[in-house]
Parts: sequence; structure tokens; C-alpha cells
Amino acid sequence: MATSTLTEPTSASWWNYFFLYDGSKVKEEGDPTRAGICYFYPPQTLLDQQELLCGQIAGVVRCISDLSASAPTLVRLRKLKFAVKVDGEYLWVLGCAVELPDVSCKQFLDQLIGVFNFYNGPVSLAYQNRSPEDLHAAWDTFIAQVLKNTSDLHKIFNSLWNLDRTKVEPLLLLKAALILQTCQRSPHILAGCILYKGLIVSTQLPPSLTAKVLIHPAAPRHQRIPAGGGALQEHGAALPANVQIMPVFLTKEEAISLHEFPMEQEMSLAAPPAGLQEHSAQHWSTSAPTENATGHVGSAAWTLATTPEPTGPDVAWPDGKGENRRLPGRDLENVKPTRQHSPARDKGPGLRGSLAREPRLPWAEEEPDLSEIHIPEARETGMCPGYFALPSTCAPDGGSPCFEECASDSGSQEPKPPDALSSFLSLSTPEIRPQNGALERHNDLPGDSSPAPSPREDRLPGRTSRPWSWPCSDSRQEGTMLPVGERGTEQPVGVRDSRSTPGGSDLAESQDDGPSADRNDPRSAPTSREGLVPMNLYTHDVNGLVLSLLAEEPLLGDDAAIEEVYHSSLASLNGLEVHLKETLPKDAAAFPSRTYNFMHYDRIQNVLTTNLPQVATAQDRRFLRAVGLMHSDFARLPALYEMTIRNASTAVYACCSPVQETYFQQLAVAARSSGFPSPQDGAFSLPGKAKQKLLKHGVNLL
Amino acid sequence: MKGPGGDLELASPCQMKCVLVATEGAEVLFYWTDEEFEESLRLKFGQPENEGEELPAVEDQLSTLLAPVIISSMTMLEKLSDTYTCFSTENGNYLYVLHLFGECLFIAINGDHTEGEGDLRQKLCVLKYLFEVHFGLVTVDGQLIRKELRPPDLERRMQVWEHFQSLLQTYGRLREQEQCFAVEAVERLIHPQLCELCIEALERHVIHAVNSSPERAGEEALHAFLLVHSKLLAFYSSHSASSLRPADLLALVLLVQDLYPSESTVEDDDPQPCPRRPRSSQNIPMQQACSPGSAAPTRRSSAATDTDSFSLPEEYFTPAPSPGEQSSGSTVWLDGGTPPTDAPQIQIAEDTLQTLVPHSPVPSSPRRIFLDASVKESYCPMVPHTMYCLPLWPGINMVLLTKCPNTPLALVLYQLLDGFSLLEKKLKEGQEAGSTLRSHPLMGDLRQRMDKFVKNRGGQEIQSTWLEFKSKAFSRSEPGSSWELLQACGKVKRQLCAVYRLSFLSAAPGRGGPHLPQQLQDQVQTLMQEKLTDWKDFLLVKSRRNVTMVSYLEDFPGLVHFIYVDRTTGQMVAPSLSSSKRTSSELGRGPLAAFIRTKVWSLIRLARRYLQKGYTTLLFREGDFCCSYFLWFENEMGYKLQIIEVPVLSDDSASIGVLGGDYYRKLLRYYSKGHPAEAVKCHELLALHLSVIPTDVLVQQAGELARRLWETSRVPLL
Repeated sequence: MATSTLTEPTSASWWNYFFLYDGSKVKEEGDPTRAGICYFYPPQTLLDQQELLCGQIAGVVRCISDLSASAPTLVRLRKLKFAVKVDGEYLWVLGCAVELPDVSCKQFLDQLIGVFNFYNGPVSLAYQNRSPEDLHAAWDTFIAQVLKNTSDLHKIFNSLWNLDRTKVEPLLLLKAALILQTCQRSPHILAGCILYKGLIVSTQLPPSLTAKVLIHPAAPRHQRIPAGGGALQEHGAALPANVQIMPVFLTKEEAISLHEFPMEQEMSLAAPPAGLQEHSAQHWSTSAPTENATGHVGSAAWTLATTPEPTGPDVAWPDGKGENRRLPGRDLENVKPTRQHSPARDKGPGLRGSLAREPRLPWAEEEPDLSEIHIPEARETGMCPGYFALPSTCAPDGGSPCFEECASDSGSQEPKPPDALSSFLSLSTPEIRPQNGALERHNDLPGDSSPAPSPREDRLPGRTSRPWSWPCSDSRQEGTMLPVGERGTEQPVGVRDSRSTPGGSDLAESQDDGPSADRNDPRSAPTSREGLVPMNLYTHDVNGLVLSLLAEEPLLGDDAAIEEVYHSSLASLNGLEVHLKETLPKDAAAFPSRTYNFMHYDRIQNVLTTNLPQVATAQDRRFLRAVGLMHSDFARLPALYEMTIRNASTAVYACCSPVQETYFQQLAVAARSSGFPSPQDGAFSLPGKAKQKLLKHGVNLL
Repeated sequence: MKGPGGDLELASPCQMKCVLVATEGAEVLFYWTDEEFEESLRLKFGQPENEGEELPAVEDQLSTLLAPVIISSMTMLEKLSDTYTCFSTENGNYLYVLHLFGECLFIAINGDHTEGEGDLRQKLCVLKYLFEVHFGLVTVDGQLIRKELRPPDLERRMQVWEHFQSLLQTYGRLREQEQCFAVEAVERLIHPQLCELCIEALERHVIHAVNSSPERAGEEALHAFLLVHSKLLAFYSSHSASSLRPADLLALVLLVQDLYPSESTVEDDDPQPCPRRPRSSQNIPMQQACSPGSAAPTRRSSAATDTDSFSLPEEYFTPAPSPGEQSSGSTVWLDGGTPPTDAPQIQIAEDTLQTLVPHSPVPSSPRRIFLDASVKESYCPMVPHTMYCLPLWPGINMVLLTKCPNTPLALVLYQLLDGFSLLEKKLKEGQEAGSTLRSHPLMGDLRQRMDKFVKNRGGQEIQSTWLEFKSKAFSRSEPGSSWELLQACGKVKRQLCAVYRLSFLSAAPGRGGPHLPQQLQDQVQTLMQEKLTDWKDFLLVKSRRNVTMVSYLEDFPGLVHFIYVDRTTGQMVAPSLSSSKRTSSELGRGPLAAFIRTKVWSLIRLARRYLQKGYTTLLFREGDFCCSYFLWFENEMGYKLQIIEVPVLSDDSASIGVLGGDYYRKLLRYYSKGHPAEAVKCHELLALHLSVIPTDVLVQQAGELARRLWETSRVPLL
């Protein structure tokens, strides 16, 4: 990516300071404050000034923590605001302009910390094992990229940098999604995303992970010493051209989410936020009525993963899942009841009861324990609750009953899907059953198992769909026989190739192996930090088109697997790159004449759709200011769902739902108005206009 | 902002609040904490290790804990020219708001989610304004105000602090319970005939009676007004008086409510019982269930000691009266008692109910307060007045404001202080050095006036300070540096403040200074009681049902509530909302009423927030309600003027309100610049509709409503 060459961050007016301060280095009276400064941005700041800020803020943070029994997350001055995060002895502080909403300021800090941890592991470990210069460079690169790519809009929402999908041929997006799915078939590979010039083309990852993959580390990482404590061996064989594999660290929640429903997490920009989606819903409705349910929730994007295989059943399954995922709260609750009447579970005339139950029966008895361990965790994590919803539906024991319950909860339950699903599910059953049952149990049970139960079931959809859509499943079968890494020997890859299966087992394993990271962690940062799960990030750069894949750790040692991924994707990537290059630049100057501004924020995928130009006019800036204000209130007041505000020069309408926020402003000069309540005031006709005008952008507010 | 769970909060206010005023050196000038906060401090400091040892005083605990923050904010100010304004912890569990006024740092802390940043900042601004009302221009000087707020004498210090603690508590209560304090505008009791009658009585039997009395000792009665609870019944100003700012009037209502709290607005579980306050013990069992501390039981026992024990069960468990036959504590009062006339005494009545009646209102001693006024045709802030609060019956009070004979001195001092402050500013900006300064017209004028002042009433100290200044500023041979001049300027200012303090505070009526003789006060009090004796019951009920929503329902279907404010006069009209568990409004007193209240209050907050950011119209749908807010300007005839860009203020700016900062006055002045020819009026309308009402209907209704309210407000009452 173009950005990777940039190392010296350029300053931005809204991003004033960022620093990492290690309080443990400044304990005694005589310790100079500078000893604790691990990193300070902007680097040209005078040391005295650095010391002043670090010292004062650290002092105040400690004082407030003492007084209120919790650390401050935001410290505001007249001209600056600081987002603060305390992690044991470490203190992270990001100083932004006061105009930036509080929420956004905190999100940027979280993002930055997340990215650092992703590439470097826990901060304490990183600073133990690696040279400060190295980490300095890492920070510089991260900040430079954030600053370079964050527009005025992204600033407010801290949204992902995505390709404007209106400028891309939908087929290309589908193609990208296909590439990702193909890659998932290779051993170890869990999920990934495709970026073009730093913008998302398609992703299967949850937004928090996509955000991290969007930013790259400074140096080629395979040369680095993995921060995880050398869990990875030096990779002897040369990697294919333009391919890098680096160790990365996922949070537990992210790791779990990757192992669950890889299929569904797929998001493609080809999916318009709401409108198109409904379109497609109708399309598929015969085969997959559940789709409607998805539609109503509005985050169609997830479903798009499936678009490549337009044949009914295939598509339907993931969608149905997606739908379930939307109701995390409920789903989780559902789990409990099911578990409690475990007998009922057995009787349960599940949709795919036959399929699901058979393999599992052997260990059904153990389930209660497992699930008990697992579910609470899922709740705590809460990062992307969506992902955890599903596990519950498919809790090993009562997969089918669960699903039913959920479906009925969502109200979308219809007679059809079961039939369709079960019929096609049954096809795939034979293949899966053996591997599944035996293997997983093996790995999971002894292990600490938290994630185990759910992934197993989650995989179902993936498994089933694959055979259908991909006739080439044979290749997979071959793979099955390949020994993969140390674990591979015990484990037929076939299991893993059915994405989901490996998920479960691997996760369990990674937690067993994981100690390298997990155990190191507590040692250095004994506080609340959650263990990070080491993984590999495979990236393949084709002239700015980057395929990033998250894989189980053994990937780095598994040349065959690497080869497989590489060859399975190379041709398609080349093709995609050529097409994107041809189609994209042409549209660069769009929006010839706007009569309105709009901004549509997808809260689930964390992406924005807008027609705002790069360079903001006065009216645009007014719009942005209003959006910033209202966004803060939407975040703060959950029951608030519609808002119109006006001043002498503009009026802005906004509405939101659990999945989206939409803002709309008319650019026509506002007529003379007194501010007195009058139905003639244009501000009050904005909702109607928004509903009408935004339809063509795929934003359905009706 | 209170969410839907707000009604719960209302039922059992869990609290965790603190306000602190400190000097740069972290010396505590004032603090206020609620019991929960004090308890949390106690836990932090732990039990004293030895039996004999005592925990440090709360002020010392606070100073110890907050010193790092205070000192750091001063360091930041010095090194970075910027300082802290706000801290928030995870999930907004704790919120700290800091505001620097001159050399004093004000800190407000909330740990119970009930107040947002705006609320806290407003509280600080109000506190600062209350200091000004009590100390006038003395607040200009950091050292002198320190002497006032933190007298070396411990007992005196406790008195001062308790006074402001009580005021702060009262303010908090009123802001939570009274719509007029929520929007900071005076609410009038709407009854034209009665109002007229009262104005006449105030004119003839109060103002005129006082001013024609030979005993008045140079005091001149300026304003007199009648309050029923916190609502204004009638207001009369003498011809020679300048008008009273709405902010000042509101502050006076606050002072009166602090002296004589209305029964129905006092929370029964008020965690800091203040002995000065008459309070009833009704509903204690209900409070006990939810009151967090141990306050309720202790109060019950104290109630038991001074009341007839037979009456207790009856009274405590009296079912809540239905909305129709409202019987607030105050009406209980009126049912049998003859109005107390003068001396403090405990009313002993035959009726068991009346045994619960608290002490009859005792006339408070007159108070020195400082209000804006024009003196000799020129505007002068913080002019000393004397306030006499004469209780007529519980819930009904008369307030008389007089000015003292040496008012012109206040004007002179203000003008001199103003001149030196201007000079100081110029020196700080570095524009004028030595010689240019000397020739500055401002300087010559200032010199002349100061010379005259020193000659007329100069003490030794001020004389020498002034000479020192003159030698630095006007000496041709060796003019002082800017820095020296600044120092000298500061000294002169301090001397002027000292004269002000000596003249108006040390000789305040409360400290034995001149004031109207008691007999004259009693006379006007009795006269007014006679005039109103037939009306008092009616007034007390009327004050709870001032405007009823019923009269609007037919014409405005879907309208749930509204508040209409005339910001030019600083008055508001709104249907009554029940403010406590004992009184009820049309909505009853259950969860629904409480829910509507939280909605209205959150609308007020959000409207303020958006007005602060320059938006004059706000319409939002939240849950089942649609809330709207409109601000507009019009001329005297009601012609709507074009809206302008309203200034966009930063988050740490003084709050949008009247008591702390008088935002609307500034706004009007700002708008009037573009309309020099006409008198500009500013209005606000807040409306709460059911969310099923379509937007156009809603806006239509809001317009209709505003027009109708405008018509009624045209009837002159004052």
C-alpha cells in the first residue's frame, strides 16, 4: 500500500499528541519523568513539554483513579481533549482537538492500541523484547496511516476506510468475496479481507479486526522477532513473491469470532446498506425466507458473502445465521433454557437435527460443562456480540432446538427454510460427520475449551455450503490427508478445510499452545489484560491490491499450505487488480452537482457511505459539525432515534436504528426564517426528502 | 441525561456529589458534599488507628485528595496556557467539572449519573453568582474574597459555609423539582385580579409606607414582591428604582426558598437536615424504604420526640390524597391555624394533624445582597441592597428590597475598579507602556477621579498605595516598567475593594449595620397579611395548579407538556407538574408523572446543549415522545424577526442559563446590534408531544400554542 512507505507522521490539526507512558519507570522521587516516556508523538515536541504533559496527565489520572475508584477515560482542557487508557503501569494518552467528539477520541485511542497489540503483542512484552527504535517506527507508521486516511467524516465515526462501492462494478466485489472464500478452503486459513490501495474491497473479518488489518506495520515482519516469545520458528523456505507472513495477536474475542461462522462474517461492499439488500431478499425469498429477517435489521452486507453462489439453499443458510446473529441478547438467553432441558434437546425435532445430533451424541453429556464455561465468556467479551449469538444457537447439545427457538424469537421463522436446509444439509452430512465428532472432541475437551462448543456447530453452515458451491471440494479432500504442522499429523486437514471445523479445534489448541502468549502476558502485565491469541497474517500484495488472511499459527511452517493459498488466489487477484485499476480512477470526480449531503453510517460493519466531496465547503462543514453533535447524542441516548436541528444557515436531519445512522442536509440556501415554529420551515420536510432521495443510494429509511 | 429509568432515580435518589472551591494553593475556600460522598471519603481515609485520633476534617480530606488536580491545573495553565475543564471516568461513572473564576478553581463532582457536564458547570456558575450576590465586588479580589469565604475564626467559617451549603442544596432541589428553576425563568402565578390587588397593596402599604416613615434610617424601599412558593404573585418597584434583572429576581426567589422552604418542594429524605428549616415529617416510612443513608430513621426519632406520639401512625400512613382534594403540607397548615404574626413560637394546636406543623416562620434578619442596578443613570453591577424577607404564611412570603444611603459610593468604586481593570488588561496585553499610558485619555480621567476619591475619603493605606502608583505611572524621570505598574495597579484595586468591603459588608445589616426598624417591618408584614388573609388558601392551591394542561388538550391533541419562556422579561409559563410525592398534578403522582418530568428535564438539557452549539431549533423523537424546542426573536408587536447565527460556544463556556452568566441577556444584546431601531424580544418554546403525532401537525401546533401564549402574556400584570 502506498502508505507503508510513510514513516514520519504528518501532523494533523485534530490530532495533537499521542504518548505511551510507563509509570513503573518513574517510581522514586528522583526518577526523571522522561524515563517513563516510551513513545511520544509528535516526536519533535520539546522534551520539557513531553515531560510536562506526561507527568501532569499521569499525575491527574492517578489522583482521579484514587478518588473515583476507576480511571478517567477522558481528560478535557479548554483547547485539547485527551483520551486516556490505563493498562497496569502503562498509560496511553491521545490528545485531540476539542472539536472531535469525545466518543471518537476514545475510539481512536482504542484503535491505536488495538493495532499495536495486533502486530506487536502485549505492550509490556513488546517493550521487553524489542528495541525502542523498532517500536518507535511501528508507532510512527500506525499514526501516519491513521492520519493520512482519516477524512473529516471518518474522524467522527472512526469508521473503516472502504472503497466507495457505488464506483465499483458489483461483480468485482463478488469476485473479491469469492477469492476470500476460496482461500478459506486452504488449510489453516480462517478468514481474510481484500484491500485496494488501502481501502476495503471485501472483508470476512469483524470490523475491529478489519481496522487492524487496514493498517500495516512498518518493516517486513517476517524478519522480526515475534513478540509472542518466539513461538514461531524461522521459516526456512522462501515465501512466494509479494507474500508476507507475520505473527499477529488477536484478542480472545476476535479469535473466537473468527472460528465461529467464518462464512457469515464476510462483508462485501457490494451490498448496499439496505435497499439493495431488500432486493436480494426478494430474490432469494423462495429458497431462503429467513433473508427477510436479515433485511429488516438492515445490515445486509453480511449476507453478501454468499452472493457468489446464488443458488437458493446455499445462500439461505448463512443468511439465516446472520439473522440469528442480530439478536445476540436473546440468543444468549436462549441457550440456557435449552441446556437445562437437555432431554428435550435430544428429542428436539431440529431442522438439521439428524445431522447435528449424530456426530455429537457421544459427548453430549459433557456439554453442559463446556457450555457453561464458554457462554459466560462470550458474554463478557461483548466486543462484537453478534458473533456470539450464533454459538448459542448451535450449542453442541441442542443445536437444533436452539435454532428453532431463535428463529421463532426473531419472528422470521417460516416453514420453508427447514426443509430446504435439511435437504441440502443432509447431503453434506456424511462427509463431515466422522471428522468432526472424533477430532474435535479430542482437542476440545482436554483443553480449556472455552470456545470449543460453539465453533463446532457454527461450522455447520460453512461445511454444508461448500460442497454445493464448490465442486472442487476434492482438493480439500486431498488436503485432509496432509499432515499439517505438528498438529496436522493428528488432524486430517479435511476437517479444517471445512473452515469451521478447524476453527473449533484450533482455537482450543491455540489456547493450549497459547501459553506462549497467554502466560507471558500475565507475567508482565498481571492486571486485567486478557490473553492475546497468536496467529499468522498472510498478506499478498498485487500492485496495491492486498489479500490479507488470518490463519492459524502453523501456516508459517507449512509450505504446502502457503503454496496452496498462493496458487488458489494468484490468478484471481491479478484479474481483480486489473479490473479495479481500470474501473476505479475514471470515476474519481463524481458528484457533479449535489443538491443535498448525506451520510450513512453502518454501525455493524463500521463503514460510511456518503456523497460528501473530499474538500468541504462551508455548508459541508456545517453539516459535519451537526453530524458530530448528533452522533454523540445517538451514542449516548439509546432511545433517541430521530433528530432535526437547524440554525440560521442550515438544517440537518438525522435518524438512527440499532444498525445504522443516517444524516441528511439540503444544500439549497435556506429560505428566510424566523425560527418560529412553522410548518413551512424547510427543516421539517427534511425527513421526507431524505427518505426519497437516499433510496437511490441504497439507503432505505422507509 | 436521565433515561427511562429516571423515575427510579427520582424515587430513591442515590447520590454522590461534591462541590469544592479552592485557591491556587489548594486551600479550601468552600466545599459541599452530600452524605454519600462524605461517606466515601471516610472509607478512603479509613478508621483512625488509635481510638483517640480523629479523622481529618472533610475540608482537609478534600484538600488532600484533590490537591494534585488543583496544582496540576495551575501548572498546566502556567506552562501550557490551558487548563483542565472536565474529567470523566469509565461509562461516565464519575464526572468532574472544573471551572476557573479569577484565581479560584471551582470543582464539581458527580458520581451518580444524575448530572451531566452542563448541569455541573451550571451549578458552579450559580455558586459563583451566589458569591457575588453576597459579597459584591469583593469577589473581584482573590485575597479579600478569601477572607470572606474562609474567615480565620472557625465558628464564623462554619457559618459561612453552612449558609452556602444550604443555598446550594436548595438550588439543587429547586432545579430538580421546579420548572422555573429548570429553565431559569420566573414563573408567575396567573391571576390578574389578585395580582392587581396585591400590586396596589405593595405600592400603598409597603413601599410608600416605608418611604414615608420617619424611622427608616435613610433606607429607601425600592422593590417589593410577593411569592407563593417559588412563584411570583406580584411585583412592585418604586418610581425611583431601576428595574430588577430577571437573574437577580430568580436569585432572590432562591434565597427566599432557602430561608423558608416550601413544604412540598423539600424532599423528605433530604439527606442534610438543616435546623433552620421547618420541615414536616410526612411520608417518612415511604422514604425509609428507599433512602440510602441512615437519615430517615434518625429523623423519625426526632420527629417522635417533638410530636404527639398518637398522631404519628395516623399521619405517617395517611394515604396519599387524590389529586382532587390536594392536601399538601402547606394546606394542612392553613386549615386551622391563625397566621403567626411575629415572635417565633411553636404552634400548639388541638388538631392532631397540626402537631406535626413545624415552627412558624420566623422573620429572618435583613441581609446585605448585591444586585445590578442603575445608579444616577449609569449602569452599575453589584449595588448593595438590603433584603427583608417577611413571611406571611408558610409558603407565602413578601420580600422588600431597600437601598442604603451610601449607594453612590458603590458606583464610584465600581467605576474606579473598572478603570483599573481596563488598565490592567492593557498592561497585560503590553500595548501601552510608560509614556503612552500616561497620555492615554482613560488614564487622565482615572487619575482625576481617583485623586478626588482619595481626597474625599482616603484612608492612610489607600493614599500611600495611590501615591506609589502615581509615582510609577506618571513620573517623568523614571517611569516604572509594565510589570511594576501591574503590581501597583493590583494594589490599588485591592485597596478599593477593601473600601467597598468595609463600607458594605462590614457594616451589613446582618452584622449590626443600619436597617429598617423591626417595628416598621412588622407593620408592613401585618398589613399585607390582612390584605391577603382571605386569599391565602386559594393562593397555596393555585400555586400548585397555576396552569393546567386540561385547558390545552382539546385544541392541541397529542400535546403532553410545554414550557413557554419570554427571555426578555425572564418569565415562563408551563402547566404544573407535580414536584413531589405528596402533591399531584393532572398526571397524578405515580410513575407516569415522574416519567414525564424526566422527559421534560432531558428536553431542557438537550435544548441547552444545542443552543450552546448555535442551533435554535431542535426536534427529536425519543421513545414514545417527540420533543421540540424553538427559539425566536420578535419585535414588540409580535412580528417575527429573522433568525441569526447564534454564537457557537465551547463545551467549557459558562452554562446557557440566567443565574450563572445570564446567557439570554447577552444573546439579546447580540441580536439587538443588528436591530438598533426596535425593541427585540426573545422567546423559547419547549413542547413534548406523543410521537405518533406527525411532524407537520406538531409544528403547526407549536406555532398555534406560541401565538396563544403570546396573546395571554400581553395582559400586563406587573
